[in-house]
Amino acid sequence: MSAIARRGSGWTPWLYLAPALVVLGGLLVYPVYQLGLISFLEYTQAQVSGGEPTSFKGLGNYTTLFGDPQFWQVLLATVVFAAACVLATLALGCALAVLLTRVRAVPRLALMMAALGAWATPAITGSTVWVFLFDPDFGPVNKVLGLGDHSWTYGRYSAFALVLLEVVWCSFPFVMVTVYAGIRAIPAEVLEAASLDGASQWRIWRSVMAPMLRPILVVVTIQSVIWDFKIFTQIYVMTNGGGIAGQNLVLNVYAYQKAFASSQYSLGSAIGVVMLLILLAVTLVYLRLLRRQGEEL
Amino acid sequence: MSFVRRPWRLAAEASALLIALAVAFPLYWMVLSAFKPAGEIQSTEARPWTLSPSLDSFRRVFEQQEFGRYFLNSLLVASVVVIASALIAFLAATAVTRFRFKFRTTLLIMFLVAQMVPIEALTIPLFFLMRDFGQLNTLGSLILPHIAFSLPFAVWMLRGFVKAVPEALEEAAYIDGASRSRFLWQILFPLVFPGLVATSVFSFISTWNDFLFAKSFIISDTSQSTLPMALLVFFKPEENDWGGIMAASTVMTVPVLVFFVLVQRRLVSGLGGAVKD
Amino acid sequence: MKFSARIAAPAAALVLAGLTATACAPQTSDNSAKKDEKSGTLRVWLFQEVGNAPKQKVVDRAVDAFRAQHKDAEVEIEYIPVETRAQKIKAAFNDPESAPDLIEYGNTDTAGYVKDGGLADVTEEFGAWAEAKDTDPAAKQSVSVGGKVYGAPFFVGVRALYYRTDVFEELGLKPPKSQAELVTAAKKIRKAKPELYGLAVGGAYTYGAMPFIWANGGELAEESGGTYTSAIDSPAARKGIKAYTSLFGPDNCPAAKCAEMGGNDTVTAFASGRAGMAIGGDFSHAAVEAGKVKGKYAVVPLPGVKAGEIAPAFAGGNNLGVLKSSSHRTLAVDLMKQLAGKKAQGELFDAMGFLPTYTDVRESAAKKEPFVEPFIETLAAGAKAAPASPGWAQIDSSLVLPTMFQEIVSGRKDVAAASGDAAKKMNDAFGAAG
Repeated sequence: MSAIARRGSGWTPWLYLAPALVVLGGLLVYPVYQLGLISFLEYTQAQVSGGEPTSFKGLGNYTTLFGDPQFWQVLLATVVFAAACVLATLALGCALAVLLTRVRAVPRLALMMAALGAWATPAITGSTVWVFLFDPDFGPVNKVLGLGDHSWTYGRYSAFALVLLEVVWCSFPFVMVTVYAGIRAIPAEVLEAASLDGASQWRIWRSVMAPMLRPILVVVTIQSVIWDFKIFTQIYVMTNGGGIAGQNLVLNVYAYQKAFASSQYSLGSAIGVVMLLILLAVTLVYLRLLRRQGEEL
Repeated sequence: MSFVRRPWRLAAEASALLIALAVAFPLYWMVLSAFKPAGEIQSTEARPWTLSPSLDSFRRVFEQQEFGRYFLNSLLVASVVVIASALIAFLAATAVTRFRFKFRTTLLIMFLVAQMVPIEALTIPLFFLMRDFGQLNTLGSLILPHIAFSLPFAVWMLRGFVKAVPEALEEAAYIDGASRSRFLWQILFPLVFPGLVATSVFSFISTWNDFLFAKSFIISDTSQSTLPMALLVFFKPEENDWGGIMAASTVMTVPVLVFFVLVQRRLVSGLGGAVKD
Repeated sequence: MKFSARIAAPAAALVLAGLTATACAPQTSDNSAKKDEKSGTLRVWLFQEVGNAPKQKVVDRAVDAFRAQHKDAEVEIEYIPVETRAQKIKAAFNDPESAPDLIEYGNTDTAGYVKDGGLADVTEEFGAWAEAKDTDPAAKQSVSVGGKVYGAPFFVGVRALYYRTDVFEELGLKPPKSQAELVTAAKKIRKAKPELYGLAVGGAYTYGAMPFIWANGGELAEESGGTYTSAIDSPAARKGIKAYTSLFGPDNCPAAKCAEMGGNDTVTAFASGRAGMAIGGDFSHAAVEAGKVKGKYAVVPLPGVKAGEIAPAFAGGNNLGVLKSSSHRTLAVDLMKQLAGKKAQGELFDAMGFLPTYTDVRESAAKKEPFVEPFIETLAAGAKAAPASPGWAQIDSSLVLPTMFQEIVSGRKDVAAASGDAAKKMNDAFGAAG
C-alpha cells in the first residue's frame, strides 16, 4: 500500500467512481434485476402491452426450460462451440504473435494491417461477407475447391464450422496484437540465451515465453470466453436465425428467439439468467487462477 | 531479430505474407463485389477481379432515404459514447488502482461480472426504462445503454495503464503543490491517453455495429435512425442483391477501418501496456 | 486476501436481486385511449411492398379524399419494412407514445394482436358501414375474433400454381390435374432439365405446404368450444405432410438447398428461371413479370388429390386496424374506411394486383385482368384460414411448422415423430393462449 493511497481522503475514490456507478447502476444493474424478476413471472406480449395482468410463476419458467430437451441440446452446443472458438482463436493468435516477432518490418506490417482490417469489420458485415464467400451459387470458395453447389449451411457441423471460421477470423487479431505486445516486453537477452542453448521454437514458447506471458494469456483467454460464449450476430446472420430446424442455435440466439420471435419474454429472461450464472462460474475459475499466480487485482 | 537463422526467417516472412493475404481476402472480396456490375456478381464464374467497375450498387445504397442523416446519427452516437465512456472509465480506473478503500476488490469483480451480461437479453427491460425516461425514438436511447455496456471492459483495461504510471511521479507532483485534480487531468490523463485510445476502439466498434437497440428503441421517428438500420434493408439473403449488400457492408466498414488506421500505433502499444502490469 | 468472501458477495447480491421479486413489478403499458380528438395528426403504418410506388399513389389519393372531408386532420404515412414489422408493431403496443393510429397487419396476426390488447374493437362502425356488406365472408372472418370485429380487410392473398409454358411444351406436359400428376410433372422436369427445380418448394414455406395437408383431408387444428387442439399429427394431415416433403430430394428440389427456402425464395427461383413450377400468390405476379420468365409462364389452381379438384388454399391477406391507444379513434376509423373502401381497393388492384375483399369489386377486377382468374377460382373453391387462436401467432413466429418440415426433409425425424412433436408444441401454445 503506497503512501499516497493512504493519504487519500476516504471520499475521493468514491467521487471518482460516482459517474461509473450511476451509469452502471441505472443501465446495467437495474435492467439485470428486471431480467431476473421477469424470469419468475408469466410475462408474454399480452402482459407487456397491458392486455392481461402479470402473475408470479415462481420457478415455473425454469421448470419449463429445464424440461425442454432442446434447451439442453442448445446448452451443449453453446459450450462446445464456444470452447472450440476460444481454443482456435488462442492457438492462431499466439502462433501469429510469435511469427510477428520473427519477421522484418514489411511482412509484419502487412500481417498487422490485415489483422486490424479483420478486427475492424463489423460483425454483421463480416458474417455476411463470409456467407457470400461460401455461397453455393456465387461464392468463390466452392469454385476453387470444386465443390459444385455444395451448401455449407445445410449440415449442422459444416454450418458451425463456417461460423467458427468467421469468429476466429474476427477475434484472433485481439489475441495476436496483445500477445505480440507482451512478447516484445520480454527482454531480448532471455530469448537469445534460450536460442543459443539450442532450444526448439516450441520449447522456447513452452518453457520461456508462455510462463512470462501467463498474465496476458489469462486475460485474453477470459475475454475470449466471455465474447465467444455470448456469440449472437454471427450465428443469427450466417445461419439465418439458428439454422435448419434450429440446428445451429446457441444460448444467446435461443434466448432472443424465445423472447422476441415468440414473445415469451419470461423464458428468454430465464435463459439470460442461466447464461449469466454460467459465466459467473467461469469468472470464479478465472479469479482462482489469478490468485494462484499471486496476482493482485 | 539477429538470432533467427536466414532460411527460417525467409520461410516465416513468406508465410506471414500468405496469411496476411488470406486474412485480407474477405475484405478484398467485399470491396470487389461492391464494385462489380450486377451481371458479374450473379455470374457463376466468380472472377477475382473486374474489368468494368460500376458504382450502381453504391448508388442503390446511397439512395436510401436520408442516408447522410443516418450516417451522421451513427457518427454522433459513436463519438459521444467513445468520449463519455473513456472519461468515466478513466476516473473509475484511477479510483480502483490508486486508492485503497473498502469494497475495492468487490467492485473490481463487479466490473468483470458486468462484462458477462448478455446484452441481447436486456433489450426488454431497457426498452421500458427508456420509455419511462421519455428517451424512446431519440439518440439518447442508443447512447446511454452503450456507455453502460462499454464501461466495464474499459475500466478493466485502463487499470493497467493507470497502474503503470509511477507513484513517485504522483508524490513529486504533490510536493510541487499540485492539487489532486491538477494531477489527475494535467499529469495522469496525458500519460494514460494511449490506453484510452486502445479502449475506445472497443466501445467504438460495439456502438457502431449495433442494430439491435436501434431496431428496438427507434420506433416511430425515422430521422433518428442509425446507419445499420438503413443498411439492414439490404441484408435480405433471399433477394440475392449481393452487390447492394456488399456495397452497404463496405460503407459500414470503412469508417471503422479509418478509425483503426488512425489509432493503430497507440492500439498496439496500448494493449501491451494494459496487460504488462 | 480472502477471495472467496469477496466473490461471494457480488454473486449473492445478483442472485438476491433475482429472488426478491416482490419489490417492484416489471412494467406493462396502459393501452386504453384517453380521448378521441377530432383534429390533429393521424399516424399510419403501412407495409412497404416490393415496388412500393404504385401503392403509395393509391394511398395518397385515398388520403386526399379523406382530407377533403376532414380539413383539420393531417395524415402522416410511414411505410414499414415487412421483415421488422412484428417487432415494430409490438413496440408500438408497448409505447403508446410512439404508436400510430392505424396499421396494416397480416390477417394471421389478428387474434394475437387482439389478445395483446393492441387493436380497437370496431364492430359497431363496421356494422354501420354500407360498403362492408359486400365483404367476402372469409375476409370478414379474418378480422373477427370471438364475434367482434377488429379492423377492415384490405386485400386477400391466395396462392396458385405458376408453371413454365415453354418447358411444359418442350417436354409435352399438360398442366397437372391432380396431386399425383403434379409430382410426376415435377420429377419429369427435373430429370430432363437438371438445372431446374421441378416444383420449387421450401422447408420454411408453410403457406405453400398447407394446401397439401388440406387437400388430403387434414387440418392444422380443430376447434371445440373455443379451444383449439392440434390436428397436425392426424393420419390425414400426415399424408399431406408426406406428399409435400416427398418433393424434397435430388429428383425435384434437393433438400440441401430447398430445406432453407421460404416462400419468397421459391418465387424468386421461379422468376429467375430456375424452376419449372412454383406455388405463388396473386401478389407475386408483379415480381414474376419483372423476372426472366416474363411471357413464358401461366397460372392454374393448385390441384387437389382427385383429378379436377382444387386444393384448398390458404386465405392470406392484410387488414387495416385502429390501435386501441389511438387518441383519434373516430378520425382513424374514417381513414380506415377510406383506405379499405371499394374505390381504394379497386385502384389498389389496378396498381399492385392485390385482390379486393369485396365480392363485387373482385368480379369486375377479374373481367379486366384475366390473370387473376385462377386465383379467384381457387378462392371460390374454398380457401382456408389459419386457426383463429392467439396461440397461432406464437406457433407461426416460433417456426413450429417450418421446423417440422425441415426435420423431415433433412432426414432427422420421420413424419410421425416430427408431426407428433409439432402437435405437442402447438398444443402448448394453444393452451398457454387459453
